[in-house]
Order: sequence, then structure tokens, then C-alpha cells
Amino acid sequence: MTRARFFYPEVRLKRLLKEPGGLRVVDALDRADAAIDAIRDDCLLAIDGKIAAISSAAKRDGHPDARYTLSNEIYAEAGALGLAELSDVAHNLCELLSLERKEDVSEQAVRVHVDAMRALRSPAVSANGTLRRAVLAELHRLAARLAAASTR
Amino acid sequence: MAELAPDTRINLTKASILLVDASAHSLDVTAQILKGFGVSTVHRFSDLKDAVKFLAQRTADLFIIDPSISNGAGYECVRDLRHSGRANASMPVILVCGHVRKADLALARDSGANFVVAKPLAPVVLLQRLLWVAKDTRPFVDCGSYIGPDRRFKFEGPPAGSEGRRAEDLKAPLGDATEPNLSQDEVNAMLKPQRVII
Repeated sequence: MTRARFFYPEVRLKRLLKEPGGLRVVDALDRADAAIDAIRDDCLLAIDGKIAAISSAAKRDGHPDARYTLSNEIYAEAGALGLAELSDVAHNLCELLSLERKEDVSEQAVRVHVDAMRALRSPAVSANGTLRRAVLAELHRLAARLAAASTR
Repeated sequence: MAELAPDTRINLTKASILLVDASAHSLDVTAQILKGFGVSTVHRFSDLKDAVKFLAQRTADLFIIDPSISNGAGYECVRDLRHSGRANASMPVILVCGHVRKADLALARDSGANFVVAKPLAPVVLLQRLLWVAKDTRPFVDCGSYIGPDRRFKFEGPPAGSEGRRAEDLKAPLGDATEPNLSQDEVNAMLKPQRVII
């Protein structure tokens, strides 16, 4: 059996953090929120482009990984921008597209997810919390129905 | 994870951070958060090959990577860094993961990273993890196949049936207690502050 060697490397970051000056934690977090807001519009535009890309990839066969990568990016980016419902739908789509047996991925379910993401990005829905939650609830209902139909 | 004290001061102005993510917009989001924290030097790469070249020649105070880059090659990149023997081999590494396939969980555990943070990234979570990694008290382990922080957060002795590989591992079973357990009164008496007359 290989013997394990234990050692304690020096962590420069620890020393730097303690240097005089810097920021209070509360100010650092406020500044980070403001910095994210500064790129919000660009990120939203990119998210819309990724939803469109998933949709066009869905029309062709054999592109499951590209769609998974795109929905994973939407999950992360929408969540970081505070778009919780959109992030949630993208995460569901990741779960669906990461099924081990590709033949189990229902194209109909993928389309439902893409439509839900489009709806959540429409001005009327994105500005209304009740409508956003309704879209999410409807998606879960449809996804459950499709899953039940595919196991029959 | 402990709450962050709002008035605690942090200084990241001299810290340099290596940031790797396949998505340009995820890179933007993380870089903006770090900018908010006062980090002045962020080396950002959306191509893993460029990041590997950077690591071969330079170092940073923290390496943040989404390991899903290049079809999951980010895990291997961290593992290679730990096994490189270079001066930067033990730099702190945070994996930031979006949706993770079940098959990739073991890769994350065995890569040698200090911590895994789930996306979507929130500034408060990233700062908590950054501070935690900086103050991580776990030793590094080199057992040949794995190099990185000790993956055990609790030390409960070697696995049953094995001798253990630490010098301090007990080589024989402890056996049953030979005396009765302390009563609650005896425990209280041990913990109770005593008045001392000087």
C-alpha cells in the first residue's frame, strides 16, 4: 500500500487578505451586485441567443451535447442574474438532456422547455412574478405528463 | 459555513486570480463579482489550452475553473496541476459547477480541488468559499494517485479492516471501555468554572 505524505503548503491568499486597507465585506458584496448589474443587458441578450440556439438544434438530430451545454449555461447565467424561474427551467432541461440513454430524451419535452424559457423571457411574463410561477407550474405539469406517457 | 461578518475587512487588491470557463458570459459574471471584491488582477480564459499554458509558466493566488470546459477536461487540468510538481501545484482551486452529470461527481472529488461551488454563483457564496479556501486548515495529501487537500473533513480513524496510512493511526483496536462512563454530574463538575482564590 502506498504511504500517504501529509504537508501544509503556504497559502499566499491568506496573507494578502489580512493586509491593511481593502474593503468591508458588506461593501464588497454591494460592489459585486452593482458590477453584475452593469453587464446584465449583455447577458440577457446572450441568454435569448442561447434559447434560440437550443431551439434550432432541436430541429436536427444528433446534437444532444450542444443543447446540454447551452441549457447549462442558461441555468448558471440566469441564476446569477436573479432569474430564478428561467434558471430552474434550464436546470430541468439539463436533467432531461443528461439521461444516459439518448433515446429516452423526448423531443416533445425539450420543445416544452424551450417554449417555457421563451415565455419567461417575454416582457409580459418576465415582469410578473405570478405569471412566472404559473409558467413554471405548467411546465412541471406537462413534463410529468410526458414522462408518464413515455413510460407506458 | 459561517456567516460573513459585514464589518470584517478583506484585502484582495494584490491577489491575482486565474479564471477559466467555456462560457464568455459566465466568465464575465464571475470576473465582475471578483472586481466588486476589489481583485485587480484576473487572468481569464475561455480556452483550456491557453489556461494550461498559463499554468506552465505563471502562478496565481487562486484558480477558479468550471471543469465542464472542453467536455470535462477541466477535472484533468486540476489533477495535472496537482501532479505537476511545479511551484503552483498546491495553489487553492475552486471548481464552479453548473449542472453536473452523475458520472462526473467522482471526477470532482478526485481532482484535488479545495472546494466545489455550485452555480448559479451568488457573490455572498463565492466570497464565503474564497475566504474558506484561504483559511483551509486541512493538510495536503500525496498518496500517489491523489494529490490535494485531505478529502476527509472529519477524522474518524482508518476505514474498518485497514491499518491506516497516517503515522498517528492507531495500529491496534482500542477495545471496550474498562471503566463505567462518567455520570452527568461528573461531566458537569469537569466543565463548571471554578472560583480561584489567588
